[in-house]
Order: sequence, then C-alpha cells, then structure tokens
Amino acid sequence: MREVYVAGVGITTFGRLEYPLAEIAAYPAMMAMKDAGIADVEQVYVANMGGGRLSHQTGLASAVVDTLSLTPAGAETIENGPASGASAIKQGFLAVASGMYDVVLVTGAERMREVNNLDATDFIATLTHPSAEYIYGVTLPAHAAMFTRLYMERFGVTERHLAMVAVKNQNQALANEFAHLQQTITLEGILDSPEAMTNNPYVAEPLRFFDCCPVSDGGACLLLVSGDVMDRLERPRVRLAGVGQGTDSHVVAERPDPTELAAVRIAAERSMQMAECEPEDVDVAELHDAFTILEIAQSEEAGFFARGEGHLALEKGETALGGSLPINVSGGLKGRGHPVGATGIAQAHEIVTQLRHEAGRRQVEGAAIGFTCNFGGFGNNVVCLTFRREG
Amino acid sequence: MQRRIYGYRCRVCGTLHYPFRMRCKGCGNLEFFEFDPEPLPAAGTLVTFTHVHNLPAEYEVARLGLGVVELEDGTRVVGQLDIDHPTMGMPVTGGVEVVRREAYRDYWGFVFHAA
Repeated sequence: MREVYVAGVGITTFGRLEYPLAEIAAYPAMMAMKDAGIADVEQVYVANMGGGRLSHQTGLASAVVDTLSLTPAGAETIENGPASGASAIKQGFLAVASGMYDVVLVTGAERMREVNNLDATDFIATLTHPSAEYIYGVTLPAHAAMFTRLYMERFGVTERHLAMVAVKNQNQALANEFAHLQQTITLEGILDSPEAMTNNPYVAEPLRFFDCCPVSDGGACLLLVSGDVMDRLERPRVRLAGVGQGTDSHVVAERPDPTELAAVRIAAERSMQMAECEPEDVDVAELHDAFTILEIAQSEEAGFFARGEGHLALEKGETALGGSLPINVSGGLKGRGHPVGATGIAQAHEIVTQLRHEAGRRQVEGAAIGFTCNFGGFGNNVVCLTFRREG
Repeated sequence: MQRRIYGYRCRVCGTLHYPFRMRCKGCGNLEFFEFDPEPLPAAGTLVTFTHVHNLPAEYEVARLGLGVVELEDGTRVVGQLDIDHPTMGMPVTGGVEVVRREAYRDYWGFVFHAA
C-alpha cells in the first residue's frame, strides 16, 4: 500500500445553515482545495446519511461533483449511519493507497435542522433493529440511557461525571469558531442549582438535555493525496497512518457484556496497530460524544484509560486541554455539533489542524499523533483513524 | 388468540437466535431456513431501563418506559415497561401487546409488568 497524506482541510460553521445540502458539502471542499493549492481532483466521496429522507436529495455525490465543476471525476455517496464520515475517509484512503488515484476529495454534509425535532429523532432511530428495537420506541438517547445506567451501577459513574463532560466540551467549543454551541455552561447551572431541573430536564433518564449533542447542519472535508503529490506542496505533512473498523450486533441488548463497546475496541486497536503506535503515544483525541457517557466509555475501550476508570481520568482533568490526553478540544459532538454524515470528517479536520499546529487557542502543544473515533448506530459500526505528523 | 414472540433455534447446532438471522451465528452453516421457531419465555429479570421523554411523533404519551430484560432462557430482549418505579434486577413478566400504532397498522411486541 502507498502512504496517504492530508493535503487540505475545510469545514463549515455548524448550526443552522440556510443553503442546499450539495452546497454544504461543496463549501468545505472548496476550502480544502484552496488550503492545499490543488484544483484538480480525480475522485470525490461524499459522506451523508439522510439526504434522501431529510433534504429530498438523493445521489448527492453527483450533485456535489457538478456543483464543484469537477466532472468527469469519479463520485460516490458513502452512507454508514453516523460513521459515514470516517467510512468515506476509509474509502478515500483505499483509493489513494491502492494507487488508483493520487488526489481524492472526501467531503461530508448533513442538513438536519430542516425537519422538526421529533422527525430528526425518528430519523436517527431508524438505525435501530426494525422488529426488535425500533417498534418499541427505542431511540439513540434511549440506548445511551440504558447503557449509562449499567455503567453507573458497575463503575460508579454519576450524573456529576456526565455533567463534567458536558461542561468541558461545551465550554471548549467557545474556542472553536466553527462550533454550533457558543454558550458557557456551569455545573451549578445544569446540575446543582434549584433551577437545574428546568435548565436541564431528562431526555431519557438518567441522561439529561445537556448530556446530548445538538442536532446540527454542517459540512467538513479532507483532501487526500499520495506521497508524490504531497512532496510538491508547502503544507505541513500529516499522514493518515491508521484506519480501523469494527462491527457489533445490531441489537444492543444481545451483546454478551452490555457495558462493552467491542467494536470501538477492535476499530481502535486495528487503527493504532496500522499506525504503529500505542494508546499512550496519542497526543490528542476526538471521540464520538453524541452522549456524554460515550466519551467516558470510548476513552476506555480505545485503551487510553483502564476499564471503569475513564471517569476518574476526567475528574483529574487528564482529558481537558493541558491534561495528559486532551479529548474533544474542538468541543466534540457535544459542543461543535453533530451533522451525522459530516461528523467523522469534522473529527479528522480537528486532528489535522492540531497536528499542523494551527489550532490557535485550543492547540494541544507539540501534538504529533492524533486519533478519532466515529461511532455508528449504538456501537454497531465504528471507524477509528490515527494521524501522524511528519517532520 | 395468545400472541407470542419467537426465537429461532438452529437445527444444526442448537443456537437460539433472537431476532431472526439469515445465518446461524453459532455454526455459520450456509443452508437456508435451518431454524425452528420457538416461543420465548415470558418471565425474566430487568437488566437496565429508562424513561424516554423525547419520543417519535406517533407516541401520544409524556414518557415511555423501556427496558432490557434477560428472559429465563438467557435471551436478552428490549421491551416497553408498564412499571412505575422499576429497579435493576427486579423480576418481570412479559405480555405481547400493541407497542406502536401507525395509521393503518399496529405493531405488537413485549410489554413487561412487575412479576
């Protein structure tokens, strides 16, 4: 396999975007091409989960390649639920590593605020098993809530730990101009004060409003190139060094240990093995905190902390900016937002920005190895990426 | 008519599946339809639960109880809960009732009650 580099990155502001889905995908693609100084692209992958359902737009890749006037380049839409973004990066990686293409654009977009909250919740709930989960009214918050209760019972995680993740990530988003949520929150306001139950009501007990990521519109893009092309560019060299994926049972209740996220463990292991590094070598990580509990659980399954000790590392500030392993300094899904098809690419965008040492106020000093975990379904399909700075 | 929820037992190796699989996860044999349906037990214990407050549009309730139940034969299933104050590990018993109504169709599934 050939080595694969990130030549350019781009991202939209996350939140409510009043322009068409194809343009949400094309805007960060323009930024990535300008960033790299590359105008010709051989292949485009577009990550998207709900274009047909939410935006009345199918065949999105064809719309995007034409919007960018990149025809007759190859173009495919990649749908892998909320892991569509990292899956599209995986396809881009394979396309360059195989030698088939030298320049591949991987862009992701979602427009979710077009529909109301109930429709958006139902759209995401269609990820669940049709006859064994969906018909009962199981939603992703419901899965996360039942998982949280087990985690609390087994490992001593409390609502305070969950709120600490929310405060850390949402306040970190203030240092990210592209993040959806731009509002300071405090433990007092969402947990301790008499108004906390009004400010922060239960969504699916024991998870509250501020334990859940917002519903966002947004797009993000990575431009992947071969080593030969990278040699001609002036940008810092960041290599996509490891790609790992794991899948798990569709029905969450069936898993032998319902507090385990086996697909995260497998995807993380494979990704770091390919990148020839260990969890302790990672300097900065973007984890899939669609719900606060997931940051804690994934930080353990990825091997950063021992099982059942993720919340202790959080307590000690190890996962905050300045700690031993800063997690979600971009704000994560919680603060940056979660346009499902774009999220995996937005995570990679943050890691590349960090490894280029261009992250400004949220820069992790000297970051050389970065990791992302993009979590599809409730851990049914997980894609992890490891990036390395060279030189 | 008494409604039941069925599991699917592999005729080759005896592994019980719920929900249905096209291929046995125990022995992986490639023959089609080598499963015998068998009714799942109704009794079990509550493994975990939640009350959901943010529901898809067709649910006309303020909050919905959901839980994971480990049935007597070890099969774990999701069902709705008709229990005011559930606790982890409590014994429950399941009936098959309407769990979702759409315009022209009712969906039937497990609803668990305190045993």
